[in-house]
Amino acid sequence: MDIYLRWKRPSRLVDNKRMRTTSDFQWLLSTFVLLYLMNHVTSQRKETPYDLKCTTNNLKMWDCSWKAPSGAGHGTLYEFCIDNRSHSCYQLARTNIEIPALSHGDHEITIRSLQDAGSSTSEFILNEKNISLIPDTPEILNLSADFSTSTLHVKWNDKGSVFPRHSNVIWEIKILRKKSMELVKLVTHNTSLSGKDAVHHWSWVSDLPLECAAHYVGMRCYVDSPLFSGHKEWSDWSPVKNISWTPDSQAKVFPQDKVVLVGSDITFCCVSQEKVLSAQIGRTYCPLIHLDGENVAIEVHDISVSDNSGTNVVFMIEDNVSGTVVFAGYPPDIPQNLNCETHDLKEIICSWNPGRPTGLVGPRNTSYTLFEGFSGKYIRFKRVEVSANGSYHQLLFQMVPNQEIYNFTLYARNPLGRSEATILVNITEKVYPHTPTSFKVKDINSTAVILSWHLPGSFAKINLLCQIEIKKINSVQELRNITIKGVENSSYRIAVGKLNPYTVYTFRIRCSAETFWKWSKWSNKKQHLTTEAIPSKGPDTWREWSSDGKNLIIYWKPLPINEANGKILSYNVSCSSDEETQSLSEIPDPQHKAEIQLDKNDYIISVVAKNSVGASPPSKIASMEIPNDDLKTEQAVGMGKGILLTWHQDPNMTCDYVIKWCNSSRSAPCLMDWRKVPSNSTEVLIESDQFRPGVRYNFFLYGCRNQGYQLLRSIIGYIEELAPIVAPNFTVEDTSADSILVKWEDIPVEELRGFLRGYLFYFEKGERDTSKIRGLESGRSDIKVKNITDISQKTLRIADLQGKTSYHLVLRAYTDGGMGPEKSMFVVTKENSVGLIIAILIPVAVAVIVGLVTSILCYRKREWIKETFYPDIPNPENCKALQFQKSVCEGSSALKTLEMNPCTPNSVEVLETRSTFPKIEDTEIISPVAECPEDSSGAEPENHVVVSYCPPIIEEEIPNPAGDEAGGTSQVIYIDVQSMYQPQVKPEEEHGKDPAGGAGYKPQMHLPINSTVEDIAAEDDLDKTAGYRPQANVNTWNLVSPDSPRSTDSNSEIVSFGSPCSINSRQFLIPPKDEDSPQSNGGGWSFTNFFQNKPND
Amino acid sequence: MKVLAAGVVPLLLVLHWKHGAGSPLPITPVNATCATRHPCHSNLMSQIRNQLAQLNSSANALFILYYTAQGEPFPNNLDKLCGPNVTDFPPFHANGTEKAKLVELYRVIAYLGASLGNITRDQKLLNPNALSLHSKLNTTADVMRGLLSNVLCRLCSKYHVAHVDVTYGPDTSGKDVFQKKKLGCQLLGKYKQVIAVVAQAF
Repeated sequence: MDIYLRWKRPSRLVDNKRMRTTSDFQWLLSTFVLLYLMNHVTSQRKETPYDLKCTTNNLKMWDCSWKAPSGAGHGTLYEFCIDNRSHSCYQLARTNIEIPALSHGDHEITIRSLQDAGSSTSEFILNEKNISLIPDTPEILNLSADFSTSTLHVKWNDKGSVFPRHSNVIWEIKILRKKSMELVKLVTHNTSLSGKDAVHHWSWVSDLPLECAAHYVGMRCYVDSPLFSGHKEWSDWSPVKNISWTPDSQAKVFPQDKVVLVGSDITFCCVSQEKVLSAQIGRTYCPLIHLDGENVAIEVHDISVSDNSGTNVVFMIEDNVSGTVVFAGYPPDIPQNLNCETHDLKEIICSWNPGRPTGLVGPRNTSYTLFEGFSGKYIRFKRVEVSANGSYHQLLFQMVPNQEIYNFTLYARNPLGRSEATILVNITEKVYPHTPTSFKVKDINSTAVILSWHLPGSFAKINLLCQIEIKKINSVQELRNITIKGVENSSYRIAVGKLNPYTVYTFRIRCSAETFWKWSKWSNKKQHLTTEAIPSKGPDTWREWSSDGKNLIIYWKPLPINEANGKILSYNVSCSSDEETQSLSEIPDPQHKAEIQLDKNDYIISVVAKNSVGASPPSKIASMEIPNDDLKTEQAVGMGKGILLTWHQDPNMTCDYVIKWCNSSRSAPCLMDWRKVPSNSTEVLIESDQFRPGVRYNFFLYGCRNQGYQLLRSIIGYIEELAPIVAPNFTVEDTSADSILVKWEDIPVEELRGFLRGYLFYFEKGERDTSKIRGLESGRSDIKVKNITDISQKTLRIADLQGKTSYHLVLRAYTDGGMGPEKSMFVVTKENSVGLIIAILIPVAVAVIVGLVTSILCYRKREWIKETFYPDIPNPENCKALQFQKSVCEGSSALKTLEMNPCTPNSVEVLETRSTFPKIEDTEIISPVAECPEDSSGAEPENHVVVSYCPPIIEEEIPNPAGDEAGGTSQVIYIDVQSMYQPQVKPEEEHGKDPAGGAGYKPQMHLPINSTVEDIAAEDDLDKTAGYRPQANVNTWNLVSPDSPRSTDSNSEIVSFGSPCSINSRQFLIPPKDEDSPQSNGGGWSFTNFFQNKPND
Repeated sequence: MKVLAAGVVPLLLVLHWKHGAGSPLPITPVNATCATRHPCHSNLMSQIRNQLAQLNSSANALFILYYTAQGEPFPNNLDKLCGPNVTDFPPFHANGTEKAKLVELYRVIAYLGASLGNITRDQKLLNPNALSLHSKLNTTADVMRGLLSNVLCRLCSKYHVAHVDVTYGPDTSGKDVFQKKKLGCQLLGKYKQVIAVVAQAF
């Protein structure tokens, strides 16, 4: 049977498994063949009861059924026998039987059908493994919905009483939505059976508000009993139960006023009877999702944090609008920096930072609860109390009596979640006292006061540490810490000593617990003046004799406040000698000097200061000084605001040293101030606001010995040296042709403003108003400077000067502070007469000698001169012009025109005929003569030629034919000729008019000073053409005779004109001066030319 | 005036300003005694006009402040979300007699005062940080209380009317936030519209 059962009636599970595992075609084919054979066998077996099946739903009873054999009808009886130990048989008229669960192992089952036609028997092997466990269909006891949270609640009974204990049950629940029953959720829920019936609950939160659509719920179960080895199968699905919401007539939007986490997804729906047109969240439109009827939904993903009033979701319906508000925020952050402390040990203040803002306000805001673990007390946070830190929250917790340790837990909660923070504190160590109030100061004596204050709190169990700030005017503040026992009544007082009498103090106080946590804030300041005490010292005293030496003036300084110990009312001055004691009347306080008429005996002067409490110890000083013969005056210069004085320690000085100083320009008695230093001192820095730079002070160092003072040193000094403010007043004592003697005076001390270090004397050539010494220090080479460092020197002789020359003298004094102003003067040295005389006599003598020699020579050579200068004029007709030159210089291989003697000028006879040259009346020999400078200022030095004689000439400036190339102007000099000559023309013009046809007579020379090569070439051409020609080639006149005039062209090439012959000829050919001719420049020789370069002068 | 506000107005508030719609009350019969605790000021009508002008001048600013604080899409959908669709708003006829206008004004101001109280309460929870809105609402409510007192004083002193039937708008305490926002906006829109007419009528 077992085999049969396995073959004939494999369970669906087995079939399914087999089908799932068969993949091989051969296997399928063999299976098919096998099934066919089995079917064939079964058909044979249908003659007997067959297909026995057993199931169970509670593991206690098995429900077995079989199929009747063919031919069996109503009235057929079956005998169902179980072959076990009891071998029980059941007779029954149906094809199923419920039998108690059999034990493990195989059981032989025999079913015999008893019918009229006979009986047939089938045998089966039954084992628990062949039994199927199919639980009963579960039933949902209750399905409810929480619409506000969109939650479905399912309740059912597990009927656990029919199963053994500890069986596991798997419940499968399906959620269907909308009328079309779309599956939206299929979940499994595990429970275990307890052996008794139990009701189970299961909840599910819908993403779609439950109001939006109908929701259906069904379930089935699967019992997984470990004691059962047979097949376990799911129960059937229970009947579904549904939840639906009855809509109002007006459209509504769900969920309403929901609080969601930022970033979450949420679905909104609108339940409406009318058509919904659009939907938007904030300003963003969303696509509609259609639900049952006109209901629509929208899905919002990753929602952002809302404003305070929430995010509006609006559905637009025809003629209406409906909406809802959603609040997107965050769960509360963990409270940060939770701290608990107390001000008064009565109340604990816990403060914390709420951390990240939740974005939720109003009723959705975070609520806080402070729970104390030991006492079990708690308080709730009701309102935000903003502390000094701004965003901090705080709660006040009343302290529990006799409890010092507190375990606080702060719970934070809002609709999106909760958080907490804990802190364990010993509250006596967390005392932050209130600010002390009612702070008062009371006198005890002149050096002690009592401070009292009020500090609210119950500090009886702890000690307080208080800090007192004591501040004197113009002094560093002092902090004193005191520890006092805490009290219950909050009033405290302490004594503060070691104060100064008659001193204004400013007190304030703050406190903390002895186990320091935080200082309280400072109390208000309280100013207090301590009471007076007798002055601790006598005044600092000095004395000076009056200028007439009859009276002794006693000076004293007002006592400093720390020594006066009160307001000084008056001073008592007395003087005592061996014989008597003289006391003056009381001198009221503002007066700090007294004058006593004393003789020259030695007196001891004593000064006592008195305040309202009493008199100070007397200050004593002897009236007479101890003489000191060895006294020198020294110099010193200060540094900055003071001056440092040093000295060698004198063991004889037993009292102290006194440095007295005064302004040196003040009249006696000289006292500006004094200062006492201990006897072991060797230096002192004297500083005073009265010191001024540039002012000379006298310092006197006194040593004290037996109350008598001896002047040890006398020092003059400056705090800072400045430059003199005046120049030394100087005069010229003596002047000669080459020297000046200057004398100056001292500068007054007040104007010197420093120690005189010397003088600087500047001098240079220069005249008043035209020469000023500028930039004395710039090292100008024409300025001579003399530095006079010997300040005793008061005169200076300046030598090696030029005679009759104006000199500019400047004198200035200098100190280490700088140069003083300058004083200047102009002095003209005297003329050098000897030199002038020599300068006159020597030229005169030379001129006389030359004249004599010339006269003698002329006399002895008179014949020759006549022959030379007055020769017979030759007849031009006899002159062969073309042979002129040749005849003149015949026999000479070179031109000798520059040589006077060998070249005898030809005699020229002037004819009266004008046939060829009508306007020429006489032969003209033009020879350039020395240029006679008309103005030395306009001529270059090298053009200046001193000549002994300047014939009348006409100077005409003509443009240079070569233009700019010549780099200057050409000058043509025409010797003045008689009017019968043709008008003077420029050579260029002549060349231009008739360069080739210029026949007839031409002036022999019209030479430009700056002739160019082209000019020369042109002249060569002219030579070839016709006419009279110069006797010599001018180009060859470059040789310069000592007397010949010369000119220099722009290129400094020397071009000489003329010759002695020409000069001589000119001298005699020139007719008397014509009225129309240009005036001569008049260059006659004068005696003054001997000294000057200017001929016209 | 302060005394009136301190005496009469709280009494009126106690009597009238309970949430929910009230049933209409009859006008005081003519022969009923009408006495005010304090004598009415001589220039009551002038004060009423001034108060109406004050309300009229600030109504639009309050309206803007309100719908701005409600967030989008209120400012951009004023016609649908803030339209003056207040069905049970007391009527006002500008062409009536002074007595009739005063009676109607009393009803209007009583209605508005109660609604403004609801709005103020809702907004303090919904927009706790919108201090300027709170201030404007409180100021408007204060002026309305004074106006109500003056109107009643005028009615009582001149027309011997001691009591006027009043109705109130819906209580919003149980409504969802969106409904609170919308009803408040509609009410303030209606208030802005009505107060202009009323101020013009006096």
